Amino acid sequence: MSQGNRGYSLSRRRFLRGTAVGGLAVASGAIAMPHVARAAAPVRVGIIHPVTGAVSYSGAQGRAGAMMAVDEINAAGGIKSLGGAMIDALLADAQSKADVGAAQIEKYNDAGVSAVVGGYASFICLATTQAAAKHGIPYVVDVGTDDRIVKAGLKNTFRFSPGYGVFVDTAIKALDQINTAAGRPAKTAVIVHEDSAFGTGTAKLLQKQLGSIAINVLEVMKHPTPNLDFNNIVLRIKAANPDLVIPANYYNEYVLLARTMLQQRVRPKAIYSVLGGAASQYKFVKDFPQAAAYIMDCNHWYNPHKEAALALRKRTEAKGLYFTYEVFLNYEAVMLLADALERAASTDRAKIIDALASSEWAGHFMPYGPTRFVGGQNTGARAVNLQVQDNDIRVILPPEFANAKPIFPMPA
Amino acid sequence: MKSAAAIIVLLLALIPLPWLVRSDFWLNFAVLTLYYGFLGQSWNILGGYGGQYSFGHAAFFGTGAYTSAVLQLQLGFNPWLAVGLASVAGGVVAAIVGGLSFRYGLRGSYFALITLAFAEVLRILADSLGFTGAGVGLQVPLHPAVVNFQFAGKSGFYFTMLVLTALGLAVVWYIEHSRFGARLMAVRDNEDAAQALGVNVYRVKLGAIVVSGILMALGGVFYLQYFLYIDPEIAYGPAVSIAALLAPIVGGLGTMCGPLLGAAALQLLNEVSESAIGAAPGLNLVLYGAVLVLIIAFLPEGIAGVARLRIGLPRGRAA
Repeated sequence: MSQGNRGYSLSRRRFLRGTAVGGLAVASGAIAMPHVARAAAPVRVGIIHPVTGAVSYSGAQGRAGAMMAVDEINAAGGIKSLGGAMIDALLADAQSKADVGAAQIEKYNDAGVSAVVGGYASFICLATTQAAAKHGIPYVVDVGTDDRIVKAGLKNTFRFSPGYGVFVDTAIKALDQINTAAGRPAKTAVIVHEDSAFGTGTAKLLQKQLGSIAINVLEVMKHPTPNLDFNNIVLRIKAANPDLVIPANYYNEYVLLARTMLQQRVRPKAIYSVLGGAASQYKFVKDFPQAAAYIMDCNHWYNPHKEAALALRKRTEAKGLYFTYEVFLNYEAVMLLADALERAASTDRAKIIDALASSEWAGHFMPYGPTRFVGGQNTGARAVNLQVQDNDIRVILPPEFANAKPIFPMPA
Repeated sequence: MKSAAAIIVLLLALIPLPWLVRSDFWLNFAVLTLYYGFLGQSWNILGGYGGQYSFGHAAFFGTGAYTSAVLQLQLGFNPWLAVGLASVAGGVVAAIVGGLSFRYGLRGSYFALITLAFAEVLRILADSLGFTGAGVGLQVPLHPAVVNFQFAGKSGFYFTMLVLTALGLAVVWYIEHSRFGARLMAVRDNEDAAQALGVNVYRVKLGAIVVSGILMALGGVFYLQYFLYIDPEIAYGPAVSIAALLAPIVGGLGTMCGPLLGAAALQLLNEVSESAIGAAPGLNLVLYGAVLVLIIAFLPEGIAGVARLRIGLPRGRAA
């Protein structure tokens, strides 16, 4: 296994040791073996995720996805335009804290990384992208749905996946379509969201737009992350008796909310989430099939008709991991960067930024239109609607990517 | 006067660091060490010298950070002008928290819990109010320029922190050499006895918490300018309060250089544990926690206490 495939934690000791060994290798190569072709110097890429702390599950999944892409690229011969340079992944833990994430970027800068991938949570990405911008380090955001990440005018920041503005627009249109097709049984909703940037931002947009499709928001309930007890929130939902419950929170809280609703026998016409932390997670579907059944979600997803996506799912599951959006978005983020590296044919940060900005990458398996970055956002990125049916997660909208039809209202 | 000279020498010795350290990582390390040392110094004034252990210094930190952010983003203030108002806001919140707590005689764990509760109330308010950005927080746009209190390199932030550190040390030096400080330490050592001797306990404690709050708010302003983003959890969450109390406890409570020593030790420990453990997620934090427990268990007077015993440093009046 190559060094790049192993990845390693970024540390001063390793960095200095690596530099010294590298220096010796270069020197000895130049003196002793001037005519022997030497392997190209690896491309250092920072892979940063919150693998400890409040959102560690997602961070760990993201890291796994990114490393699968790194392994695959290296196994296929590395970056061809750089003479087969391996990707040397420098792993860092943001500890679910914005300032720790920003401090890791300083380490990356010292280590001479050519680019950074990851961040996961919006509050981390907001800090890390700005820190990277100060050094001109190209930064590919893996998930971070807060639209301010790409609206800050940072030239180094690129987000391949959509932000919550797109998610809310898509979710509202799809909900109207599903509701209309069923004879408009849903007239009221309750929004339950976590209280950080992601949940609050999503809830705000939803609240604004649900009125436009004749759905009255009865109440907006927020909770912290982590939150250990949803009994009170579910009692309030029960009292409000909405047709729809719309959660916007992370995995653990989503699971707990759905389980508590099941225990308290709160059965609205649908649980319809936007970026639902668990709604589109196989782990949730497997562990709590009853609570997960018929939940609809507007989320990141792969194109189920693409062989490459299904193959990656198999490989992920063979490693004992669930194929979550963190896995495939990070995989794709690294692949996008690899494409930019190929075209830039350089490890120079400015050249990589130019290559990312002009990217028309089509080698992905996402249900997206053509890749085109405007102000750092991929305008081809799209959200899809999913539903848990027969203990599986199916795409129900848009029709060109769907592999099932929506079931609404959910059966009693 | 010896201690003043030692402080001046220490600060002068730290001035050339940005020219000696070319690595941004190590400069960032120095900035964060000074920053956590400064937060610790702010807590040390009330907790170390006054014996009033607060678990909610985030209330002052967050108020400073949010005041500066709101003034800049909603009212178009220059960040340098916002510094003064933010520190005043921190002092006002400290006066309210201290006024209410000390007026009703809250001490020990009751005082600790009430400060924690105030910080939590402010977190919930910041989470709910529109002008604080609610849960999405506030982001200061990146426009590196001295006039914007944003520096292109780390040196500017380093010198800002050095000035704040000097301010913190000067305040503590004043406490150690003034009547106010003597009264504060008398309150810490035996509140009833101090009162019997005619010390206005309420006023002394209130003074200490206001000074502490002002410094903590300055720490909040620095955080905002350095990381350019705050949300309710970052500003008012328990992590800041813990960071503020950890440095003086590890370094030496009620000592002038304790918070700085503690911050340096904790930062080093953090780096060393991360280097030693490698990529295994969370194990570095376990090692960090274990060493922390050992420090607290075997060094009850902190690192400053060891330094005093080993190299015969004089025991400050405060300790």
